[in-house]
Order: sequence, then structure tokens, then C-alpha cells
Amino acid sequence: MPTTTRVSVKASFVYFVLGSALGALLLVNRWIPMWDGLFDLRDTHVVFVVDGWVTQLILGVGWWLLPPLQIGLKPGDSSWKRRGQTQRGSEPLFWAIIGLLNAGILLRSLCAPLFEWTDVRLFDVLAGIAPFLLLAAAVGFVVIMWGRVRELKRR
Amino acid sequence: MPRLARIFVKASFVYFVAALLLAALMALDGLAAGQWLRSTYLSQVHLLVVGWISQLIAGIAYWMFPRFLKEQNPQPRGSDRLAWLVILSLNVGLLLRFALEPFALMTGRPWLKALVALSGVLQVVGIAGFGVLIWGRVRTMEI
Repeated sequence: MPTTTRVSVKASFVYFVLGSALGALLLVNRWIPMWDGLFDLRDTHVVFVVDGWVTQLILGVGWWLLPPLQIGLKPGDSSWKRRGQTQRGSEPLFWAIIGLLNAGILLRSLCAPLFEWTDVRLFDVLAGIAPFLLLAAAVGFVVIMWGRVRELKRR
Repeated sequence: MPRLARIFVKASFVYFVAALLLAALMALDGLAAGQWLRSTYLSQVHLLVVGWISQLIAGIAYWMFPRFLKEQNPQPRGSDRLAWLVILSLNVGLLLRFALEPFALMTGRPWLKALVALSGVLQVVGIAGFGVLIWGRVRTMEI
């Protein structure tokens, strides 16, 4: 399992635990109202679970397991040789994708409620940037992985 | 596929069908159970996201992630007891929420809300337990 995958998978587990803990807190708040502001964390709970856990896990495991790129094959070659990480695609680009995804998740999930609680305009602006970071991560992932969604011809 | 993984995966299949059955019923108008069905919306989303997607991921990860070496842990996939705790805690929490949340929303009774809150806590315990169970297996594979 490459380092890139290990980082994104472990990050996804952290989001899963935090996201579900937030969910439990919201349920407890429904029973024993602790603070009205907790309701503003509902979106945070959803973003942590859907983007932080499910999506990030899929990205990390897809990067690890999808068929490698067909690099180094010459016409008439009946076999291919593994060239390690390069056959997965550009590792720096994948790091950038994970960085954009996590930046988008954190900005969206933290700045939106912070704006509700403090009315500081900067948080609203940062929360507004988040969807574009997530979009950039999604586009980057599709670009980097498109060529790997292919038939794997065994020797 | 080891037995515990099969339990995760088959449970996720049951939730998949149950959640989509609920969604299909919600789409039908004029059913006598209409208000109850509408109250299950949040639970239905959790049946899909936690019961189906997350539990399927947990089962496949438990099956396929690199196993512990003998010197790291005599149980190659980690503690069976912890795995059982994860399965029970997660599923009891999910089913409790599904069974009680509609009535908690419709009636507002404090004891129902308390049990729904408990269902959330049980799910967190299961999920945190899964994190502990699988963390050490997120590693490179030594050959």
C-alpha cells in the first residue's frame, strides 16, 4: 500500500470517527438541548462523513488498486513490467488532489458554522472558496485516473 | 472471505435493500403509514450511508487489507472480540435509531429522544472500534 494511499485512508478513518461523534452529539442535543449553535454543525457532520470518509477512502484505494497505466509497452509486447509508483500516475499531482480535498473539507465544514456563530465575513469567504477546492480535487482525480479504468490483460 | 467479513457484507446488503425499499414506499402517496414513513427519512439516509456503504467498506477492508505478521499479532486480522463489538455496536445502534426515531420525532417524548441519542453513541463506539481494529493494517505489505 503506497504512502499516498495510507495517508488518505488513515485521514478518512479520522473523519469517520469525528463525523460520527458529531452526529451522536447532535442526537444527544436533540434530547438534552445544550446549545442552539450545535445545529449549525449538521453540515459539518455530513461533509466529514460523505467527503472526508467515503470519498477520500475511495480516492485512496482507487489510486492503490486500479489497473496501472500502460507505460513502457512497445508494439508487439506480450507482457508489461511494473515500474512501481510511476505506473499509478503522477504522485505529486495525487498529493495535490488529497491536499485540495482536505482543504476543501476543512474550510467548508469549519468556516460555515464559524460564520454563523461569529458573523466574521472572512469565514463566509473561506467557506465560499471550499466548493471550488473540492471541484478541483474531483477534476484532478478524474484526469489522473481516467486512463487507469481499463481492461487488465493478464499474461 | 472470513466469517466476520461475510457478516459485515451480508448485513450491508440487507440495509441496502431495506433503505431502498423505504425510499420506494416514500414515493407512494396515500399510504396509511405516510406520516411514519416521512419521519423515517433521516434514519433511511443513515441506513444507506452507515448500514450499506460504510459497513460494506468495513467488511471488505477487514477482509483485504494487509494482515498482521505473526510477530505483530497472533490474530492476523486483529482481535475477533473487537470485531464482534464493532458489528454489534454499529448494528444495534442503527436498528435502534431506525425503530425509535420516527416515534421520537412524532411524539417528542424525552425517553424516546434519550434512546435515539444512545443509538448515536453506540454507532460511534462501533465506528471508533473499527478505526482501532483496522489502523495497524493500513501499512505496506512485507513480502
